[in-house]
Amino acid sequence: MNFLKKRFHRYYLHSRILLPERFERREYAFMLFDEDTMHRHMAFSSREQLSRYLHSHAPAHVYYSSAYYRTPSAATMREKQWMGADLIFDLDADHLPQAEQLSYTEALVEVKKEMQKLLSFLHDDFGFGKNETRVYFSGGRGYHCHVSHKAVLSLGSQERREIIDYIMGRGLDLSEIVRERSIPREGDARYGQRFTHKTIEIDPSSGGWTRRILEGLVAFYERIRHMEREDAIRELTKIEGIGRKTAEELYGGLTDERIARIKRGKLDQATGFKRIAIPLMKNLAVSLTGEADEPVTTDIKRLIRLPGSLHGKTGLRVTPVDIDGMEGFDPLRDAVVFGDEPVKIIINKPVEITMNEQTFKLEKGDAEVPEYLAVFLVARRNAVIKKSME
Amino acid sequence: MFNSVDLTQLARYPFTTEAKEWVKNEKVNTADILSDAVYERARMRGIARVHQALKRGIVDEVPLLGEADCIMELFSYPIARMIVAAVESEYLIRRYALAEAKKAYTALKNEPPEFISILAGEFGITTDHRGIHFTDYLKYAPTWDTKWKLVNRNLQHGYVVLQHHEIARLIQEAIREKIQRELANLFAPPEVKRIFRDDIVAMRSSVASKDRRPKIEEVNEEYFPPCIKSLAAAARAGTNIPHVGRFTLVTFLHAIGMETDDILKLFSASPDFNMEKTRYQIEHITGKASGTTYAVPRCDTILTWGLCYPDQLCKTVRHPLFYYRRRSRR
Ligand code: SF4
Repeated sequence: MNFLKKRFHRYYLHSRILLPERFERREYAFMLFDEDTMHRHMAFSSREQLSRYLHSHAPAHVYYSSAYYRTPSAATMREKQWMGADLIFDLDADHLPQAEQLSYTEALVEVKKEMQKLLSFLHDDFGFGKNETRVYFSGGRGYHCHVSHKAVLSLGSQERREIIDYIMGRGLDLSEIVRERSIPREGDARYGQRFTHKTIEIDPSSGGWTRRILEGLVAFYERIRHMEREDAIRELTKIEGIGRKTAEELYGGLTDERIARIKRGKLDQATGFKRIAIPLMKNLAVSLTGEADEPVTTDIKRLIRLPGSLHGKTGLRVTPVDIDGMEGFDPLRDAVVFGDEPVKIIINKPVEITMNEQTFKLEKGDAEVPEYLAVFLVARRNAVIKKSME
Repeated sequence: MFNSVDLTQLARYPFTTEAKEWVKNEKVNTADILSDAVYERARMRGIARVHQALKRGIVDEVPLLGEADCIMELFSYPIARMIVAAVESEYLIRRYALAEAKKAYTALKNEPPEFISILAGEFGITTDHRGIHFTDYLKYAPTWDTKWKLVNRNLQHGYVVLQHHEIARLIQEAIREKIQRELANLFAPPEVKRIFRDDIVAMRSSVASKDRRPKIEEVNEEYFPPCIKSLAAAARAGTNIPHVGRFTLVTFLHAIGMETDDILKLFSASPDFNMEKTRYQIEHITGKASGTTYAVPRCDTILTWGLCYPDQLCKTVRHPLFYYRRRSRR
């Protein structure tokens, strides 16, 4: 038996798996070590049955279906008979722009920020309670959020897609959010419509994206206002479509009184608003997915990692994260399950990593490291076990 | 549901449980409704409901001045339903359900908010002073329309804040679904066919062409542009397609002459396939239900939606339909 499998086996012998709600209605799927096929369409009627399976197979990856079915073990969707599905959000580092340039740790920090944005949408806009949104570290390069509020269970994929679009700001139409008004200029009345003053207004009492954009604008303008002139101009001209002249006008016009008006939703001259709003929107939205990649979240029958199980490519545990304590969650400490007895490995690529609050700097070649790091590196194919051991 | 039995309100919303209860409590048997001279007016009105639905897509309101008016109006509704069931046309069922729902909407717009909330409750829609719960909103809102897309809505703590007439519009959709669902399972007693024979025959002949339109020349999928090909493949495989993708696909297939039923078949592999809902969406997009036919989006638009996968020929076209025409002409 190989090193990882042995360790996983030991883990499953002693640990309690966190069972999803309606767990006997779910489909389970497994990937075993040294195999490329997924074992699907399994169902378990008791915790013991599932535990027994995990002990005897020590799988590399354990999944369950977000959907629950009348007959979860049936082979086809039709026979399974879909009854409902949790709403699942899968935030993965691979979906971040420039994911390749980030280290494992950095990537996870970025994903955590996205998760916090997501939670603010789910709590403030969608009104889910904190106890209805559960966050898990995926064991890999991301975080999952499970929503099991009863109102969402029966939503179809089109409806789920609307939720995703909302959170990603997809299809957001600025003209639905702002009101453009043409006000005749004083004294120009006799010229009629031709001399009008275009203003943009945002309803400050509105919620949803309107509120987010207005708050974002205020924060942005306040930040600009407190910058040195040249810094502010540089920041503003970074925005596509804003030239030096517009930037200067904008900066010069940012008085206290002006900002107070913006807070009330009165954006006065349209200048720059749309230009600023577009990158702002991107910033406020959650990046759930890469461009070509369809977000799996709308899938009403997808498989997700079972909380409490181990991720075969890291050896880390799929771990619940306390929403209020998210800030302090460190996957390379809090999702580590293995001990620190020394293990001899051969490293194939230099590593620098902080795990269990200990920093390791390892060169290529032989090394002796604590078991938890050995598992992590071997699983990530960054090292192999030194033969004499096995 | 209604405080003190307000007959006028019952008559205005005859599809509600309460209105049905009222009719039932009158204990008039079907045979009398169908033949007793006392109900002659109700029968005339019942026929008119269906005719108006067929001809103009909406059932007209009638003045409800006294008790008698209300009673006749109340009885006319089950009569109209029996007639629709007797015609045995899918098309008529859909058209009639929509026409009744539109009529209800016209009246509902002018009702006080408390009444709207109560009626919403009949459809399991949760309302509060702010608006309606987003899950109900998503069930009934035409979200392929930018204006109705959730992202452009004022969503606060789970509720979509809506204007009065907008809530009424969503309830219209709920009413339409309910009436249509009920009619799909309703069988008319044999006497109905006899008593209303002439009308039923006339209605049948006017819907005949709608139910099964002759198939236009074969659609050749090989000539589809890459964007449409991939959407069609995704639909067939039952994978999720974004709204805009569905929209593109449906407008395209409609434009090249495919029938609603054939378009429907394409979507039927989806695990949560809901025949009626999908049909309604298709008919909304193709203008059968709404009267507005949406145009097939241009390449630029498809590109911004991230659905464009251009090939060689694409370089020379700006519109997916040109691509198709170009290929099929060869
Ligand atoms: S260029 Fe036009 S026709 Fe070709 S794939 Fe893109 S959108 Fe479709």
